[in-house]
Amino acid sequence: MRLLVIEDETGIARFLKEGLEEEYFAVDVAYDGKTGLDFAMTNDYDLIMVDWMIPGISGIEVCRQIRQSGSSVPILFLTARDTLEDVVFGLDSGANDYIKKPFEFEELLARIRVQLRKTNHDADALTVGSLTINVSTHQVFCGTKELALTPKEFSLLEYLIRNKDRPCSRSRIIEHVWDMHFYSDTSVIDVYINFLRKKLEQAGCDNLIQTIRGVGYIVRETRPDAE
Amino acid sequence: MTKSGTKATERFADGWKRFPAMSLRNRMAFYYTVTTAFLLAVVFTAILLIVDRIVYMHFDEELRHEVAETLEEANVKGQAFTGFDNFRCIDGTQEEDDEDKLRLKKKEIDSEFIQIVDSSGQMVRKSTNLSRNLLTFNPVYSGVRYFNSVVAGEQVRQVQVPLVNRQGIADAYLIIAIPMKSAMIVLLDLQNIMLVSFPAVILILFILTRAIAGRSIRPIEEVIATAETMTQANLDQRIPLPRNNDELYRLSATINALLDRLQDAFQREKQFTADASHELKTPLAIVKGTLDVLVRKPRETAHYEERIRYCLDELNRMARLIDQLLMLARYENDRMNPNIMKIDIGSPFQSVMSRIEHLASEKQISISKEHFTSGAVAADPAMLEMMIENILSNAIKYSPAGSAIEVATSRRSGLLVCSITDHGVGIPAEKLQNVFDRFYRVDESRSSSTGGFGLGLSIVKKLADLQHIGVSVSSREKEGTTFDLTFPPA
Repeated sequence: MRLLVIEDETGIARFLKEGLEEEYFAVDVAYDGKTGLDFAMTNDYDLIMVDWMIPGISGIEVCRQIRQSGSSVPILFLTARDTLEDVVFGLDSGANDYIKKPFEFEELLARIRVQLRKTNHDADALTVGSLTINVSTHQVFCGTKELALTPKEFSLLEYLIRNKDRPCSRSRIIEHVWDMHFYSDTSVIDVYINFLRKKLEQAGCDNLIQTIRGVGYIVRETRPDAE
Repeated sequence: MTKSGTKATERFADGWKRFPAMSLRNRMAFYYTVTTAFLLAVVFTAILLIVDRIVYMHFDEELRHEVAETLEEANVKGQAFTGFDNFRCIDGTQEEDDEDKLRLKKKEIDSEFIQIVDSSGQMVRKSTNLSRNLLTFNPVYSGVRYFNSVVAGEQVRQVQVPLVNRQGIADAYLIIAIPMKSAMIVLLDLQNIMLVSFPAVILILFILTRAIAGRSIRPIEEVIATAETMTQANLDQRIPLPRNNDELYRLSATINALLDRLQDAFQREKQFTADASHELKTPLAIVKGTLDVLVRKPRETAHYEERIRYCLDELNRMARLIDQLLMLARYENDRMNPNIMKIDIGSPFQSVMSRIEHLASEKQISISKEHFTSGAVAADPAMLEMMIENILSNAIKYSPAGSAIEVATSRRSGLLVCSITDHGVGIPAEKLQNVFDRFYRVDESRSSSTGGFGLGLSIVKKLADLQHIGVSVSSREKEGTTFDLTFPPA
């Protein structure tokens, strides 16, 4: 899942990026409102975190403009402004949640999960056939057997499962699983898909990820009558 | 003294409390009506007196005319009285029969009565319409005399003229009287009309003035209504201004101006609280978040060290901010008394220099005191030092490496002025007026790259105000900034 952090305080931006990446997120950081808005308009993020008081365009304005563009991406306000009217104003300008600084990192993660869950009408545990992944603990089970995946493998699998029964193009996968500093060609996805398929096969969940020629990949429950 | 004064005020207030129910509108109408009633009473009385006087004047005039006519008919000229025979023209003295008397009585006494008496007052002749009645003779009056009297129960105006013989002695008196009844009725009517109309006029006047007063103080009701609904939440509401530019307009405008200032102050306080909370919470969020993330996973020792050092820096920054906020809060309290004494302007500079020299030398900034001459100023030494330190460290912060800062003194209209000039980035003209505001930073990004909070100069301003030192700033973008401290006479 790819996140955008719009935050001018380098100290906060740094620990957010670090902590979130350790939680298998791809994170982009913008240090002012203008850049943040540009990023939000050009990339397809799964969630955006905005500070209120940022140079250039304010967080509120960034939020409004994202909503005006028709996007319904979850937006979290991350701000030191804590009066009731601020909270109400922030939420009314289009944010999905409002987190007051200073905050618990665990709580932030939980709130991010809530927003991502909302977009899929799912709980933290996602299931396809006999495969279950927990986006909170990053555990993967094939039946009762636990699989050991690298963060990137997990993110890739998570993205595909969240979009199960929908074909995912390579470029979309790149956009949602890798951050913007990753510019190499999309063949890296094929490499990771291969790793994933091998691990799944070993655990007994084979033929879960199917190739759509010329487009990308799709995750769907294998039916006995298929192919 | 003060105590008795307070007591008097209380008593005064108690006195006013006795009319608590009387509204301004009623009071205005009441005072106006009382004043008008008094004036009206004076005017009515004057009218009555004048009309009375005029009525008597007319009676007397008529009497005088009658006297002249009677004397002419009697051929008494130059008032030389020769005998009663001349007065034959006056109807005889013969007794009238009862019939006549009755007729006379019925006829009402409407014409004049004439009567001649001798010097002893004995009636000699009288007009017939007097019938049995006699006009009053008053022997006390020696000259011509007009007076009120009564004949047959009727009020009359009467004149008594002495008839003088050639020797100049009054041998007889001519008495003429005219009835006053009709005039008296008119006078009485006038008096009655005035007595009845007076309370009626006063009552109508009270009702009218009450209505007018109510109308003219309606804007006050609007002021009250607006002021009553005003809370911190709708402080942007204003009293509608009346159409006429009168006292009520000025009252409304004054209250609106007061509200402007109040709203401004509220806004500033709110902004300050928001800024302070942002400034305090940001380093807290950084430290907390960094450590939160740090302990989630085992890491390299160097990584720990780097992050902990970073957190310590943030905590130090926060401690500095808290210090400055507390200082500002302390000085905000106007009871804080500066310990003002006569000191040499050079001494605070010396101690500040020793403290900030390393900051200047880090950026190779030279501080020149070429045009600096010592002089005595009245200031609190500790406060002045803090002011100079804040201004100088600010100057160093915004100066490019290798530039110079000049400290100079001069005299302007007899006052000692100390100027600190840097050659840094300067301040845009439109932002110059805000530099002393709390948490104001010329570069709007509230990043900590320059390390300041925007409190240093507001502390300078506060300290300057406490010591009655004038502080002003002038600047040119990209050329530099000058701070002038104008000291009061030592």
